[in-house]
Amino acid sequence: MNELEAKEEIRLIQEMIQKTRKSTAETGNLFFFWGSLIILAIIGNYALVFAQKYDWIWINWTVFVLAGMFYSAFYSKRQEKRQEAATYVQIAARHLAIACGMGFLILGLVFPLFKLYSFGVIPPLVAVIAGIELFSIGGIYEWNLLKWCAALWWLGSLGMLLVHVYYRTLVFIPLIIFAYLLPVWILRSKYKKA
Amino acid sequence: MPLDKFAPLDPVIHSQIRLAVLSILLSAQKVEFNYLKKTIGTTDGNLSTHLSKLEQAGYVAVKKSFKGKKPLTTCSLTEKGRDAFSRYLKALEDYIPIEKT
Repeated sequence: MNELEAKEEIRLIQEMIQKTRKSTAETGNLFFFWGSLIILAIIGNYALVFAQKYDWIWINWTVFVLAGMFYSAFYSKRQEKRQEAATYVQIAARHLAIACGMGFLILGLVFPLFKLYSFGVIPPLVAVIAGIELFSIGGIYEWNLLKWCAALWWLGSLGMLLVHVYYRTLVFIPLIIFAYLLPVWILRSKYKKA
Repeated sequence: MPLDKFAPLDPVIHSQIRLAVLSILLSAQKVEFNYLKKTIGTTDGNLSTHLSKLEQAGYVAVKKSFKGKKPLTTCSLTEKGRDAFSRYLKALEDYIPIEKT
């Protein structure tokens, strides 16, 4: 073994790690699904406010969130069966998504059902968890753009405190579009080109 | 550095295919045989031979099962394999002292 051969072996190791990383990278499909679903739920929320059917708002969110969770579980299971390699990065990201999903469910739907706090508290709490999820995903996949988006979500959660409780949920729309869907779309395009 | 100061390279890992297999398995919990074959760009027979050597050395665990009606072979890195790969990398670094940080 000489220096040249050693360098060639190091290059081979790097190439194999890179190939595995690229072929098992996050597709972003579930991100797009959840972003669109929450926008639809917000539209439903304000349609019910407009129609003065306030009792239906909790049901509206429950239906959308549970439908989303069932679809996500089904989609992930199907992907798991299809994928030929399960990397530790994917496993970490999946566990994080489940943990944050449980956080959204408990803080956004279960606690309000038991009237632990006013509904005006839900949007800032949800934005904080979304920030944690994006920051961690950004760290796991080494996507710094997502870490900046997480900061926007945390700023958004603070900004919500300046907005009247009836309109706090509307703050989610620019956050979802500019600090969730757009960066995921950019990262996906970059990954496809690479 | 005199040649006798270099750490010896593990002969089980010192092969292009086996090194590639271990590099892929390093970041994955489990990998299917077909994925290894496609990523490395080798044949069924060649990969099987190299996997057997890695399995005999206790570096890789090979599990045979079924995916639907098709036979499925999945591979994963053992603790012994992870240690051996780590030692191999350290030994490899000795040959390129300038790039060592």
